[in-house]
Amino acid sequence: MAEGAKVSSRQGAFLMANVIFSTLIIFVPTITARHARQDAWISIILAAGAGLLVGLLAAALGRRFPDQTIFEYPAEIVGRWAGKLVGLLYVWWFLHLAAESFRVFGEFLVAIFMPETPVAVLIVLGATGGVYAVRHGLEVITRANEIFLPLAFVSVVVIFILAAGQMNFQRLLPVADVGAVQVFKGAAVALSYFGEIAAIAVLVPYLNKPREAGQVAVAGVLASAAFFLLVMLGILTVYGPDLAGAYVFPTLNETRIISIANFLERLEAVNIVIWITGAYVKICFYLWAAALGSAQVLALKDYRPLVLPLVAVAVAMSTMLHPGILELLDFRWMVWPPYALSTFELGVPLLLLVTALARGKGGRPA
Amino acid sequence: MRKFVRLGRGTAAAAGKCAGGRGDGRAESKKEPADRFKENHFLGPDLQANLARVKEIFKDCGDIIYREFLFAQREDIRMVLIYTDGLVDKDQLSDQIMRALALDAPVAVAGAEITKARAYHLIKERCLCIHQVKETGRLEDVIEAVLSGDTVLLVDGHPCAVVNGARGWESRKIAEPESEMVVRGPRESFVETLRTNTALIRRKIKNPELKIETMKLGRVTKTDVAVVYIKGIVNDKLVEEVKKRLARIDIDGVLESGYIEELIEDNPWSVFPQVNHTERPDRLAARLLEGRVGILVDGTPFVLTVPCVFFEYLHAAEDYYERYPVATVSRLIRFLALFLSLVAPSIYIAIVTFHQEMLPTALLLSLAAQREAVPFPVFVEALIMEVSFEILREAGLRLPRQVGQAVSIVGALVIGEAAVRAGLVAPATVIVVALTGISSFVFFYSASVATRLLRFPMMVLSATMGLFGLIMGVMTIVTHLCALRSFGTPYLSPVAPMSPGDMKDLVVRAPWWAMLARPRLIGWKKPRRQEPGQKPAPPETGPGGKGGGRSGGRG
Repeated sequence: MAEGAKVSSRQGAFLMANVIFSTLIIFVPTITARHARQDAWISIILAAGAGLLVGLLAAALGRRFPDQTIFEYPAEIVGRWAGKLVGLLYVWWFLHLAAESFRVFGEFLVAIFMPETPVAVLIVLGATGGVYAVRHGLEVITRANEIFLPLAFVSVVVIFILAAGQMNFQRLLPVADVGAVQVFKGAAVALSYFGEIAAIAVLVPYLNKPREAGQVAVAGVLASAAFFLLVMLGILTVYGPDLAGAYVFPTLNETRIISIANFLERLEAVNIVIWITGAYVKICFYLWAAALGSAQVLALKDYRPLVLPLVAVAVAMSTMLHPGILELLDFRWMVWPPYALSTFELGVPLLLLVTALARGKGGRPA
Repeated sequence: MRKFVRLGRGTAAAAGKCAGGRGDGRAESKKEPADRFKENHFLGPDLQANLARVKEIFKDCGDIIYREFLFAQREDIRMVLIYTDGLVDKDQLSDQIMRALALDAPVAVAGAEITKARAYHLIKERCLCIHQVKETGRLEDVIEAVLSGDTVLLVDGHPCAVVNGARGWESRKIAEPESEMVVRGPRESFVETLRTNTALIRRKIKNPELKIETMKLGRVTKTDVAVVYIKGIVNDKLVEEVKKRLARIDIDGVLESGYIEELIEDNPWSVFPQVNHTERPDRLAARLLEGRVGILVDGTPFVLTVPCVFFEYLHAAEDYYERYPVATVSRLIRFLALFLSLVAPSIYIAIVTFHQEMLPTALLLSLAAQREAVPFPVFVEALIMEVSFEILREAGLRLPRQVGQAVSIVGALVIGEAAVRAGLVAPATVIVVALTGISSFVFFYSASVATRLLRFPMMVLSATMGLFGLIMGVMTIVTHLCALRSFGTPYLSPVAPMSPGDMKDLVVRAPWWAMLARPRLIGWKKPRRQEPGQKPAPPETGPGGKGGGRSGGRG
């Protein structure tokens, strides 16, 4: 194997929770609020439920091949060359995800923090740190995540409590008023993020108990959904659906209004700091997956030599994919959900699982 | 003893150095005496010949003393004592060896006939009044014994030597620890003598399972090194690994445990120390009880302990002696201090340079007013102050005691007061730098060296990229820490990888009756420390009204 790491189920769940959560809180509140208005929280519950299914699907697939990643077992299911093609497809997906995440966070930082800095500068600096982590492998990434993710979750709770003074739960009324289609549209956007749980297909062979892959996926989705629900409720009750949909980063605005004793204010810096750490881990994980995938598809012994070139590609991609933040938002809103869900998160895994079942490939899941 | 030592070679080299005088040719001094030993390995029966050979080896070594005298005043039984001046207890030597052999012998051997043939036996069994004697026939053992401070007795007509353990040299008294202070707790510290140190440890842990394995390191210095651990608690593979790494060391001299530390650590490129050290016997004992291994080195009071995790540096011996709420609060302070000492100047620079909006307006205005007259950008200002603080600190460490006052006056008045008055630095910068400096003394010195080093790149990052650069720096450091290991144990355990059971001794120091298990990754061989249910309770409110039966609050 190109990677010798072993991570515990807890570490796996933490990693999955971070992978979902760290990008959820950036754009999803505003997009779901635009679709589902004050019922956005229903969309999120629906999306999390569907996300559970996506996670269980990927985990079920992984458990049939407990010592192979999604880059390897398609070759067993659909034959060598077709399998390699599927593997390459996933390499592309992880690379694309990494590039997208780079861009999302770069734009986010530029928009709110350093309007005069070119986004590429931030991305390149982030990527430099990323290369260091990725070369150390999965174990280090998961360990760093064990430090950063609890901070993120604690900050969500603390901010919710501090902002409680500004909340008005009347703003959630009337419940279930916007129509099922709108709620489902909002859910679909959120689901494309929850669906990133499909990345567990890379993680399964490195869990020290691959049997528990299902629980890992469930824990990851539920934890991120619970904390995100808290964020969404805070945003909706503080601003109401109109403002929540109008802000680009409503999560940040929620933090911004906190003012305790005229001193504890402008806490969004804390927020940003914690989000960057989450994004760092997430991007490192995707870059690691892309590097590992390339190595496994190409049957290389070590993925480390591929890290630097792949990161360079991801950085270049991230700067070229979208002309600006509005196009980026549009892409994440309109294009990304069908693109991600139809193929990588749901479509391909489902096809693979059905084929594996039909052709009797892989061991029986324990 | 000395199981895994290149004894012969070490001896040869040491002896060769004496024999060769000032001849510095390393290869020569290593090879030539080794050959000589090979052909003439053992002592012969002739005293004068033996003596000549020893003298040849100790040629030009002015501190070696040869004292010839007679056994029981018999002209035919000549003996010679060989020892190193200054390393032996002269009272013992004169009284219990020379007096006993020369004058008191007839009384001691009363009844037995003194002959040359039986002299050796009589001396060893009946006359020597020394607590520790050994016998050897090997020349190199004789040399080694003399150099280690033992007294060697050669007897005419016998190809054997008696090695008397009458060591006694000038050494520092056991004093208070200098680098790990406590208000409450033992006041003794290790000293430079290995034997005293092992005794200090033995006094803490009176158990035959406390093992002390000694070996010699250093081709020239032949420094005694002892590996201590508690069998049954320690992971045996760890002990093997420690011994393996020690045995791999091939260096000419070991003058401090730092030499060994650098030769056995896992990642030599890291700024973070991966081997902990202590000069407190109580701390060493506590770590041994957790399943760690200690490495004592002769000539230094600093004992290495492995494996080491990062959070040890934020713990103090006193945490375990003070009551637990107090200990917990001081640990929180130390965590805060670690954070400040790493990033306080960087945060200041980032906020003043890039993110002024983060400050409350009143504070921002006051800062702006202070900085109005300052001619430097805040990064340069903070850098100047940091560097001058480092210089002051270094001066405070190295200066001769008599000029200490001058430095503190210069430091406090000139750099602090005058620089602010002259408008060269803002008072806020002085406050930040001072806070940073003080913070770095709160936790363990070795770790503070690392944060001090990393502070400067962090300042550069935050001066160029603001808070984002700062976070990237912190994340890279955390990633680096996550990747480190110390003797196989993840450096950031028990946080990453997380072991919730060990959280009782991380920031919070759980009360002793709740501290049931050793650290999971280190003491897993025998995890249970104590039996549960020792929480003290007053008799009348005790569970089930059992009376005093469960009260554990004795002593």
